[in-house]
Amino acid sequence: MPPVRTNVLALAGLVTAAFSLACALQVAMPRDERDNEPFDLMQTLLGDSRRMFANHFFVKADAYFHSGFYPTIFDNRESFETAHMASDAGVVEEKNKGDEHSFLGKPLDVFDRFSRNFFPAVHTHLDEGGAKDHDGLDGHDSGHEHKEGEHFVGDGHDHSHDEVGQGVREILPWLKMSSSLDPSRVETYTTTAYWLRSRLGKSREAEEFLREGLRRNPRDAAILFELARIFREDRKDLERARNLFEAGISSWQKTEPPKKEPNVFLLHQLMSHLAQLEEDSDNDLRAIELWEKVKLVAPDPAGPDLHLRDLREKMAKKPAK
Amino acid sequence: MATVINISDLRVEYPSRELGSKTKVAVDGLSLDVQQGQIFGFLGPNGAGKTTTMNVLLGFVEPTAGNATIFGVSVTDKSARQRLGYLPELTYYYKFLTPEELLRFYGKLFRIPKAVLEKRIDEILAMVELQDARKRQIKTFSKGMQQRAGLAQALINDPDLLILDEPTSGLDPIGRMKVRQIIQRLKNEGKTILFSSHELGEVETICDRVCIIHQGTLREMGTVQDLVARHQCNLEQVFLRVVGYEGAVPSRPGGVTV
Amino acid sequence: MNNILAVSSVVMREMYRRKDFYVLLILTVLITLILGSVNLFNDSNIVRYLKEICLLLIWISSLVIAITTSARQIPAERESRTIFPLLAKPVSRTEVLLGKFLGCWLASGIALVCFYLFFGIISAARESGWPLGSYLQAVTLHWFMLAIVIAIALLGSLVFAAPSSNNTICFIVIAGILLIGRHLHKVAVGMEQPSRGILTLLYFLLPQLGWFDVRERITHNWPPLDVGPFFLALAYALVTASVFLFAASWVFNRKRLQ
Repeated sequence: MPPVRTNVLALAGLVTAAFSLACALQVAMPRDERDNEPFDLMQTLLGDSRRMFANHFFVKADAYFHSGFYPTIFDNRESFETAHMASDAGVVEEKNKGDEHSFLGKPLDVFDRFSRNFFPAVHTHLDEGGAKDHDGLDGHDSGHEHKEGEHFVGDGHDHSHDEVGQGVREILPWLKMSSSLDPSRVETYTTTAYWLRSRLGKSREAEEFLREGLRRNPRDAAILFELARIFREDRKDLERARNLFEAGISSWQKTEPPKKEPNVFLLHQLMSHLAQLEEDSDNDLRAIELWEKVKLVAPDPAGPDLHLRDLREKMAKKPAK
Repeated sequence: MATVINISDLRVEYPSRELGSKTKVAVDGLSLDVQQGQIFGFLGPNGAGKTTTMNVLLGFVEPTAGNATIFGVSVTDKSARQRLGYLPELTYYYKFLTPEELLRFYGKLFRIPKAVLEKRIDEILAMVELQDARKRQIKTFSKGMQQRAGLAQALINDPDLLILDEPTSGLDPIGRMKVRQIIQRLKNEGKTILFSSHELGEVETICDRVCIIHQGTLREMGTVQDLVARHQCNLEQVFLRVVGYEGAVPSRPGGVTV
Repeated sequence: MNNILAVSSVVMREMYRRKDFYVLLILTVLITLILGSVNLFNDSNIVRYLKEICLLLIWISSLVIAITTSARQIPAERESRTIFPLLAKPVSRTEVLLGKFLGCWLASGIALVCFYLFFGIISAARESGWPLGSYLQAVTLHWFMLAIVIAIALLGSLVFAAPSSNNTICFIVIAGILLIGRHLHKVAVGMEQPSRGILTLLYFLLPQLGWFDVRERITHNWPPLDVGPFFLALAYALVTASVFLFAASWVFNRKRLQ
């Protein structure tokens, strides 16, 4: 039997040779963009399947938004195709169909009926109080009826002092996890930022998170839009907000038109917010110009028409210079 | 004297693993009885049916035909085991228990009142010389200590009938002597003991009556003196002759069987 | 009842002398505390993700403890041959089985109390208020679900040859029932015969373990269950566990031990 020392030396020699070979090959290999990215443990462990996990955690955040009342893969999911937490935040266009209150359908049998006692079976949203006042059974729902057009523009009000809406913090861990697994999923950053600043009063954290998203997705129009909203609605820094809105529009114009289905919803958001900003800053001519453009992309031109009418009336009343 | 064990036309069959036969007969028409106060030796070569017979008495196996009783109660009734103590050949007990806990557990199964049980535990542990190790887990015990723990659990209920399967197996001469002393002491107290052993010297020394079974049937039964006188040879030679090793023993005319 | 309680006390003693429970408890505590120390947007009041992860760990740990403890009871007794001195006492096989069940169930219950106490501390540290009613319901439902799981594992230990295969099969079946059991009928409706019939039959025959999983309600602070469904679920658990225990007793009483 060979002495132990020989085995140890042979093993050490092999390890040294392997390490040297790896170093030599590493130097010789062509560098690509991924070499500039910081080391990510999840990326290394999971590879491309991390996107699948990222999506799972994003959906999980929406399930938390509904306090657990959420369709499984066996249920009718057409009313949850667009995450409600994202559409309520105004970061995506809602494309849901069907009744979100009754995706479970009628009980199929006595066991199914009885089992509904044991899991959440009523539709609620965390920003409206969640499960607090429900027994989960009687269908009573303090559900927020979405007004026409409300999905397209966030209401812009500061709810950070409303205790009821603070429960929305519970979706944040899953959104954070989702963003670390798939940094290219922009709606994770924008959704998180909206709830952080509008319900939790954490505009600084929201800005940091968006800037992190911007580092991973340079010049992304949606992230620029959300940053602009922070500066406009929370910091009241209209100049920076204007610059960010315009940067967002410029970025949209470079990236979206070549696509098969350009994100017109986002362009509408950018331009309508910029138009509103100009209107609030008394830049009426600029505001009119922008509202005319918004009218071209708005699903319902009535909103822009109203703004245009008010602006023209206002300009008519001004004395001529 | 009262009959403690009565076995009548006992037959036990097992499913056979051999090709061409469905069942294997382990015990075939065995009949014997054991009287109160006797030490009864249960002898036979390996595979003779001793263990199967004991398993029937202990309720581990149901007889195919025939019946067996202990103190007049059918062995299929668990109450037949109320006055029974059993020491298996291979003594393994719950390794995570101490001997004190083991005896307390078995004592509860016999519904021994708590105060009586605690006193009995002290006495038995002293008898088997395990009082110093009473709070040590059994997994730390030597083979000899495990055997003594086994003997202790067989005696916890102060049984009137003891079934001992190879009680001195694996013990050194001192251990064997101590077991023999305990058996003799129990006999003096009027207990009935059924034990199987391959140590024929031991059997000759302590047994009142013996039986020899081979291939599931009873071949000889009687007191040691009767068998020795009948066959004109010692017990070992009687054993060999009965199980068919005629060549090892010079034959004598007029051998009598049961 | 005395025999059943005596056997169960030995099972419980074994559980707290083995290391499984302590290892799982420490792992649960460590993982939960590490996850709780993560800084999430400088908000120290986020608690639901921690509750969900803690509850998931508790459920996994409790199933590991319940299944591995009960799956090894009878096979370990047979392998170590402790079943023989046990059955040589005035105790029936059914009593042994029920004692094993009760011991595993009580031991699992004590483990659950420890786990849920930790869970309660974690949630109280971040939430105002402690929904005691909901938590007590959750623990009780979880414990009664484990009765079904333990009964299944005990039956499996008598049917399957090796404890490892019993463990694997039990884990797969229980996990499958918890994940998709309540959806089987939905899936069946969309299928053609005979698959539809088979799946529907399976749906009604399999234990409805999902009724005892109220983690979503606990995590998201839904109010406690109504009394009616709560007690009906408990009764269902007892009936279902009894069915499996009856089957296990039937198999055990007919099983050859040697």
